[in-house]
Amino acid sequence: MKMGSKEDNIQSGSGMIVDFIKGRAFYLLGILLFLAAWQIACTLKGFGDFSEAFSPLSAALALLEMARNGDILHHAIPSLRRVLVSLSLAIVFALPTGVLVGYFRQLEQITYVPFQFMRMISPLAWMPIAIIIFGVGDVSVTFLLWLVAIWPLILNTVHGAGRVSPLWLNMAKTMGAKDMGILSKIIIPAAIPDMLTGLRLAVGVSWIILVPAEMLGVPDGLGYFILDTRDRFRYDQLMATIFIIGAIGYLLDSANRWLISKFAWKI
Amino acid sequence: MAEGTNDKAGSGRRKTLISLSGVTKKYQKNGKDLEAVSGCDLEIAENEFLVIVGPTGSGKSTLLKMIAGFEPPTSGEIRLEGELIKGPGADRGMIFQEYALLPWRTVLKNVELGLELKGVSGEKEKKALAMNYIDMVGLTYAAGKYPVELSGGMKRRASLAMILVTKPKILLMDGPFNALDSKTKLTLHNEIVRIWEHEHNTIIFVTSELDEAVKLSDRIAVMNKRGQISRIIDNPLPRPRFGKEALAPDFHHRFVALREEVMNEVKIGAGLEACTI
Ligand SMILES: Nc1ncnc2c1ncn2[C@@H]1O[C@H](COP(=O)(O)OP(=O)(O)OP(=O)(O)O)[C@@H](O)[C@H]1O
Ligand SMILES: [Mg+2]
Repeated sequence: MKMGSKEDNIQSGSGMIVDFIKGRAFYLLGILLFLAAWQIACTLKGFGDFSEAFSPLSAALALLEMARNGDILHHAIPSLRRVLVSLSLAIVFALPTGVLVGYFRQLEQITYVPFQFMRMISPLAWMPIAIIIFGVGDVSVTFLLWLVAIWPLILNTVHGAGRVSPLWLNMAKTMGAKDMGILSKIIIPAAIPDMLTGLRLAVGVSWIILVPAEMLGVPDGLGYFILDTRDRFRYDQLMATIFIIGAIGYLLDSANRWLISKFAWKI
Repeated sequence: MAEGTNDKAGSGRRKTLISLSGVTKKYQKNGKDLEAVSGCDLEIAENEFLVIVGPTGSGKSTLLKMIAGFEPPTSGEIRLEGELIKGPGADRGMIFQEYALLPWRTVLKNVELGLELKGVSGEKEKKALAMNYIDMVGLTYAAGKYPVELSGGMKRRASLAMILVTKPKILLMDGPFNALDSKTKLTLHNEIVRIWEHEHNTIIFVTSELDEAVKLSDRIAVMNKRGQISRIIDNPLPRPRFGKEALAPDFHHRFVALREEVMNEVKIGAGLEACTI
């Protein structure tokens, strides 16, 4: 593989492109099949009278229009901001909590039932309560996203901090390490792969919950825009927005996978 | 019997550093009590090189873990400079039978760990100190490798460097050179004796190889299947015991005689049944 790409460097640019496509032929095929099936279903009016508007071609045109008139940025940026703010707040709360709960066995037992109970509740169920406390708007949305992001972060960190090898702990102790040293040099680095897994899950579920959460009375964001396009009967823009949601979600997940490959140690 | 030999070594100019009296450790095995270590009395002098030998399962590792402070004795007392040992500490560096390298750190970073825990913060200083010991154990070429990339022998040498760099006053070594090739072993024997003579630490060294025991020790404690110290044998061979000195006319003869004596004692101890009560 490495040898091959070296040779291509010497050969030509087009050789490199061919090589690039060769390695990913089936991924490209998957994308093409997906778009083709979608287009055919729409052309055959598989989704009723509005089928035309749902097709990838109409969506692509709408996408161009939305790129030009600024709708994409106008709604994608608030959505990303809400997710990133709530994720940051979730990380700040969940990682230390997870490390402590994972390290101190009593704490794990104390929190076990409440955590397992709480994590099974859809954050949308809290929505009316969030609105009573925080009012309609950004704060409520951020709170709901925070609430959904903390569980995968906490539970994975607990798992990582809890399965630290007793050999490592003994070794650190025989070097005179106290609780702080053990936490910072052994427990936390040992738990990093699990923290990153938790982060990946948290990002995924936050991005999913974002859309319904933004339907709760905020004036912008991709979730809001879905309802807005519906109300304006612009189903081509609705499809384009769905596409943007999927694309940003995919990029966020890719970023997470990159973090994992970069920072998660392996045995 | 043990006490008699103790007195002989203990009554010299060296003062007692660690003392064990009536140390017993019981474990549960299949619902029965198993005495892994049984009624051990032992005095270890400052700057002594004590080697513990014995058949497998005779409680050598258990004894070492109790001195390190990882496990309390079921009964009896272990004192360090007169103080009861309550837990592990930086004054007693233990090298474990199983290596314990951190998989997310390179060899160099693993060796630097002990320095970080001690509060050495200068990157250059840390690296220089760590590289000293990495060179010594012959891992210079592998300093940038991660533990997954190391062979068993290399892992052992890395864990050795990890503890040595912290310069503990007492070194507790549990089979540190097991499974190393003979050339590496020879180098490390030289080095450990050099460090011991230079830094005046006290070493308690567990091994199953009698050559190693005779070569390194001031005294050899033999444990038997019942977890008792059956005998403590003085090692009168003059030091240095490497290179030319080892060629002195009667050195080899005395070496072999001592090894046979120890071997006999180990055999007797291995013939006993393990003690369950
Ligand atoms: N944590 C434990 N729980 C139960 N039994 C144990 C435990 N640790 C050791 N033992 C038992 O105590 C006895 C002594 O074990 P120990 O590991 O001290 O032997 P050893 O002399 O170090 O043997 P080896 O030469 O094989 O390393 C063995 O019978 C062992 O099975
Ligand atoms: Mg052992």
